[in-house]
Amino acid sequence: MSYKDKIKSDLFPTIWCPGCGIGLIMTQLAMVMDDLGLDKTNTVLVTGIGCTGRMGAYMQFDSVYTLHGRTLPVAEAIATVRPELNVIVVSGDGDMTSIGGNHLLHAIRRNPRITVLCNNNEIYGLTGGQTGPTTPVGTKTVSSPAGATYSPVNLQGLVNTNGNAFYAKTTVYHQGPMRKAIKEAIEWPGFAFVDITSQCIENNGRRIGFPSANEMLNYYKKEYRTAPPGSTQLANHQLGIVKGRAAEPKGEPVRAAAAAAVGAAAGAAAPAAAGAGAGAAPAGKGSGEA
Amino acid sequence: MAKRLLQGNEAVLLGAVKAGATYFAGYPISPSSEVLMAASVYAASHPELRFLQAEDEIASANAIIGASLAGAKSFTATSGPGFSLMQEAIGYAHKLGVPTVFVDVQRVGPATGMPTMPGQGDILQTRYGSSGDYTSIVFYPSTVAECYEYTIHAFNCAEESRSPVVLLSDAFLGHLNEVVDLEAIDVPVLERTLEPLASGNTRLFSGVATYPDGEPATADADEFIRQYEEAKARRLEVSERYAFHEYGWNKDSDTLVIAFGITRRIAQPLAPHFALFRPIRIWPVLQDQLREIAPRYKRIVVIEGSDGQYASVVERVLYRDVYRVPLLGGRMSLEAVREGLDRIGLLPRELAETAV
Repeated sequence: MSYKDKIKSDLFPTIWCPGCGIGLIMTQLAMVMDDLGLDKTNTVLVTGIGCTGRMGAYMQFDSVYTLHGRTLPVAEAIATVRPELNVIVVSGDGDMTSIGGNHLLHAIRRNPRITVLCNNNEIYGLTGGQTGPTTPVGTKTVSSPAGATYSPVNLQGLVNTNGNAFYAKTTVYHQGPMRKAIKEAIEWPGFAFVDITSQCIENNGRRIGFPSANEMLNYYKKEYRTAPPGSTQLANHQLGIVKGRAAEPKGEPVRAAAAAAVGAAAGAAAPAAAGAGAGAAPAGKGSGEA
Repeated sequence: MAKRLLQGNEAVLLGAVKAGATYFAGYPISPSSEVLMAASVYAASHPELRFLQAEDEIASANAIIGASLAGAKSFTATSGPGFSLMQEAIGYAHKLGVPTVFVDVQRVGPATGMPTMPGQGDILQTRYGSSGDYTSIVFYPSTVAECYEYTIHAFNCAEESRSPVVLLSDAFLGHLNEVVDLEAIDVPVLERTLEPLASGNTRLFSGVATYPDGEPATADADEFIRQYEEAKARRLEVSERYAFHEYGWNKDSDTLVIAFGITRRIAQPLAPHFALFRPIRIWPVLQDQLREIAPRYKRIVVIEGSDGQYASVVERVLYRDVYRVPLLGGRMSLEAVREGLDRIGLLPRELAETAV
């Protein structure tokens, strides 16, 4: 088997613009799937609306192309009914954090065993380049001619409100770290969120001064740095993985799972969580790595 | 024979369980919350029923679609405002052809409306609430026993038609307690029709118009029409096996009363004076039955808990005017029916004389 067997290459060329970053994510995802033995009998893709949502159509899996913003309730229900499956959500930043923001908040809280790959291009690409909740302040877009007004949503902070969650930051330039992040996210026994900065050259990059996708990738190369080992919080433009305590397997009754979590926090077998104390979930983020 | 006192909303839950439901997602809203609460209690001792109290009705509706694709018979229950929030997902379920059951326990709307007075104002929303064209199948029971019975039919019909089927109820019926013998209700349960996710296929369940290979068909009218007609034909054909209705009372009267859901119960004292047609399958509208029965009557009166939603459908189907008795603002009572009939000059003298 090769990673190429995970992709419906007979449907190429894709609808994605030349220079788009989404294909780089699909390739790395396919490679990880090949490494981990993920196939159409043990894995389901759930995608949102936006350019990223098309990825499910190009891969050799059953795939649910959901309504705009609704990947997470669909994915969580699939994971509940079929806990043996790998459920991988691939979604854009607008789909995931804006129209799907409420579901994100509550999926983080409920901690289902699903993997989210968020193609974060800081723009609404498919609809023509409007500002979104991930657009940096001051960015001029077709719907913010004077520059985006509001601070971007703090995805790391949101995800880390759950002491059992997994957050990784990477860019499509950093293929090695991206592959590592995707692999560890799929293996994580709970909610895992991979925040992948990616270029939209056609509907964002050119308008903010990048002549081509290559310059955008070089910008990521220059600007992003690997976080120091052991980091429990990633600074702006830092790459790395921040993990909470690994939760008990899903599917247990809520009361049993809560009891297990309390036991883990109190037990000597979880030194990384020793500082968590009772009810201080964010402090449980003890096992950060870069 | 095990007779018991049971509430309409609880009967819905028991019907769903009987039909083989293994996934429920919902959000609390009166007057449907008893379905959610009963599901949570049942799931606590029957782990085969997966239960999610979701963050909102949008999540609930999408979750039951995901659960069904994964292989579970699934359902949700809500009321007016929540049902409005579910409309996009209902359209999505129609587009995918995924069996699901949506229970709408109606209250007075629009918006938050009158929590929690009974209404029947979602008749047209169950048909046209989502965007675009699709073919709805909707049932509306009148008794607690029927809440149980038609919930099972709704699940069966969802499987056969591969579509989201709506079970209508109302605040009155949902909260009504009646003595029922569920064992006496024997509805065969149909098996799953949809091959679950990850069975070795590479299917794309897409809300976007696509060709069978997954490529976008977003500018191909012929392909769109082919898929639309196929789905429509399947739903119409299947729904013919579920053409539930009641025709009775005084068939020799010159006036036909049309009433459904709890309104048919409220109007029971009219029985000696009028003929009755009660659609149980609200959609697709029972036009063959209406066109056969209606010509026997000089007048038709539609008594309903909305300002003529179903009456307008009857007029369209029969190409003739009908009288309307709208029961608005939660005034779903025999007094309101009498007043309505009196207003249009059709109140039988005997009923006027016995009025309290």
